[in-house]
Amino acid sequence: MNKVKTQLNFKALFKNPYVQFILFGLVLSTLPLLSIQFSFIKSAYITTVGVALIYAIAALGLNLLLGWSGLISLGTAGFMGLASYISAYLTVDMGLPFEVALLAAILVPTFIGILVGLVSLKIEGLYLAIATLAVSEILRKTFEEFDQFTGAFSGKSAKFPQLFGMFQLDRGSTYWLIVFILILVMLITYNMVNGQIGRALNAMRGSEAAAQAMGVNLLKYRLVAFALATIFASVAGVLYVHFIRYSYPSSWTLKLSLDFLAMIVIGGLRSIYGTVLGAFIVFAVPDLFLKQIPYFSQLSYTLNGILIILVIMFYPNGIVMIFKDIRLWVLKLLKKGDRNHVK
Amino acid sequence: MSTFVQILLRSLESGSVYALAALGIIVIYRTSNITNFAQGAVGMFNTYVVTFLVIQAGFPLWLAILGGVGTAILMGFTIDYLVIRHTKKVSPVAKQIITLGLIMVVLGLAPMFFGVDPLNLPRLIPDGNVNILGANLSYNGLFNIVFGFTLMFILFYILQNTKVGLAVRTTASNEYTARLMGVPTKTVTLGAWALAAVLGLLAGVMIAPTTSVNLNLMDVVQVNALIACVFGGFQTFYGPILGAYIIGISRNMLLYYYDSVWGGQILYVLILIFLIFRPYGLIGKKVVKKV
Amino acid sequence: MLNENEVLKIEHLSIQFGGLKAVDDLSFSIRKNEIYGLIGPNGAGKTTVFNCITQFYKPNKGTIEFRLKNGGSTNLVDHKVHEIIRLGLVRTFQNVELIRELSVLDNVMIGAHIDFKASMLEQALKLPRARKEEKALREEAEEILRRLDIYDRKDMLVWGQPYGILKKVELARTLMCRPSLIILDEPAAGLNDVETLQLAQLIRRIRDKFDCSVLLVEHDMRLVMDVCDRICAISFGRFLAEGSAKEIQVNPLVQEAYLGSKEEEHA
Repeated sequence: MNKVKTQLNFKALFKNPYVQFILFGLVLSTLPLLSIQFSFIKSAYITTVGVALIYAIAALGLNLLLGWSGLISLGTAGFMGLASYISAYLTVDMGLPFEVALLAAILVPTFIGILVGLVSLKIEGLYLAIATLAVSEILRKTFEEFDQFTGAFSGKSAKFPQLFGMFQLDRGSTYWLIVFILILVMLITYNMVNGQIGRALNAMRGSEAAAQAMGVNLLKYRLVAFALATIFASVAGVLYVHFIRYSYPSSWTLKLSLDFLAMIVIGGLRSIYGTVLGAFIVFAVPDLFLKQIPYFSQLSYTLNGILIILVIMFYPNGIVMIFKDIRLWVLKLLKKGDRNHVK
Repeated sequence: MSTFVQILLRSLESGSVYALAALGIIVIYRTSNITNFAQGAVGMFNTYVVTFLVIQAGFPLWLAILGGVGTAILMGFTIDYLVIRHTKKVSPVAKQIITLGLIMVVLGLAPMFFGVDPLNLPRLIPDGNVNILGANLSYNGLFNIVFGFTLMFILFYILQNTKVGLAVRTTASNEYTARLMGVPTKTVTLGAWALAAVLGLLAGVMIAPTTSVNLNLMDVVQVNALIACVFGGFQTFYGPILGAYIIGISRNMLLYYYDSVWGGQILYVLILIFLIFRPYGLIGKKVVKKV
Repeated sequence: MLNENEVLKIEHLSIQFGGLKAVDDLSFSIRKNEIYGLIGPNGAGKTTVFNCITQFYKPNKGTIEFRLKNGGSTNLVDHKVHEIIRLGLVRTFQNVELIRELSVLDNVMIGAHIDFKASMLEQALKLPRARKEEKALREEAEEILRRLDIYDRKDMLVWGQPYGILKKVELARTLMCRPSLIILDEPAAGLNDVETLQLAQLIRRIRDKFDCSVLLVEHDMRLVMDVCDRICAISFGRFLAEGSAKEIQVNPLVQEAYLGSKEEEHA
């Protein structure tokens, strides 16, 4: 009797979303250990998976904006790049601690983002896409031309982070930092989308009129969504530059912003795990497995584009729904089998 | 004085390029209710086709351009027929995402067909200059300006004074009513996508000789054309054109007289500030939404 | 100024679009705990009046005085559209504006948007205050669903629910803010006779149980005549008549407006 009860409790525990997030994080953090144990997991995989997870952080922000709020930004890569340069400049050139650089690298892009949002979000959501496109052009030019700050085309280098001025991280431990922050961001996103903020964003996307009638200040919540997207992108930018330890203008093009879009649309709009899945599909899978096939790096871009269009047209909730759909389908088949059996 | 005229003439040339691209965007926006972010990418691809026909197949340029017009029309048809037509129930935001997906498709396909090296497209009129008020302008530049104006004049004449134009305008003002009134809205939309692709190609062919034909050929054009639409207002056909020429002129003026590196970026900031005061653009009016 | 027993008073309301006067010098007032009907033939400007009250449109002229919960009053024209609900005035929509991707309960919770006191940071970190608040309001929403007999559907998606249920969910959403005046935009549209009858009962029940007034903007005469205490008829944006259902039914001006429009339809 007692045994059954503990079993049930275990089941309930695993159903708790917070426990699931933490378990997910634990699974991800085994990668560096595995790469020591098993030779077929190359240590280069850590870099690829780490970058995919960093992209997933920025993509989660974009998902808050596009998936939940129905607004498009083409500035994700630009803001991410800006944060990476700021953090590199502050830690390397100014010798400031990592934590201070992180804070500054979040505040500056977010401030710019809010200014852009104030101008473009007053009228209609559509204007944000165009305004952020203009901003990403301005930022791209800045990265290329403002060489005291960005090192122009030769890029800007940075070091692995040093936490609290004491703990110097290496690649493996920076990877763990990335996993930790990703899980934190997932938790925060989960809390927000399942509460008042998430409902307001949902209402705004579903019906602007109803949202307003229920007291949702459209400008405020559009700004909130865009600011969150910028904050997440900035965090990702800081992690990127301290993990890869380089930032080039060519890393932050419109192409990357479109990749973020692909991640969330293909992975699953309004799905937290879908976003991470999307980051793997769009970035990690081609990089790990498909790069060997000739022409593939170009073709993968085309495929992502086609996948975006197909998903929007035929499977609007994204690939993450496949698991659920397959389960439903299997259950249906089983049920049918049962009924036949009874007959 | 002559420098000023020189810059003005150059600006009219780049203004024509932006205006053609902007017209393509606005035609699609008004008939399909989609902000087409892939306008530049499609134009880039077809400019590659023209360049390829000239360099690899040895076509004369005019014939190559005709070939490019052909593939542009084909591409426009394909996009509408295979994708856009089936998105009636999809939200406007999702439609925009589709055009962003189209950019990815085109950006991935172009290098497979045409390689990764930048190519050079010759000018339509190879040499010769004309002197206007002490300013030098190439025959080719003059041709571009005149061609841009003429083409837009013809298109506006068709839009305002012919049955086809009426069908387009009715579709633009209310697609549903237009269909009830017997306007073949599907054909109008199909035509709009083809027209937009051709306009994109022409913009590409005009700008290509000044740089090289590469994947980023139309990036600046695309951004400026979209901003021209915002600046001029999405509600009329001529607002974005006006916006495009103003952007062309002020961009070059800023680049020459103010700062040769940051002029273009400063212009974007100025336009963003302008929108604070006139959020619906130069010509645009506030639209009362029905609740 | 508002009289003692009035919750809403519209005076000399006018709005025009282009050259067209959609509402022209309209005045009427609604009393406490009253179900008030605003009727008129198609295109009479009913929905425009409605949108002026809720500030989706800004009227060109006129005042809309509204009784606040503390007993004072305010001119609605001075408020932004998203502030209206905070005053205790809430609306429904002609075509049911619900969020398809959310559950019934979450849709009702959107109506509690203004009741949240916890800051965004508290919510992001799910601090105790945010958690308590969410739980309390969720229970309140469940209670409302129970009262409207749709509690068993609370966890279902709104998408795919029958029309009658959707109307109830929208009503439930308006009740979350404890309104003093609910305005319903053509609630009978799309309902059959039986459903309309049930709706009439429901509206009365809501008025009694939730202690509020109801303004009904309606094209459907069955519902209006059945449920309204007083009715105001308008035509082409102008005031025609005001009175009880019986008075309105026999009023020659109203008959002419309705029959006149019928004749035009036939022509």
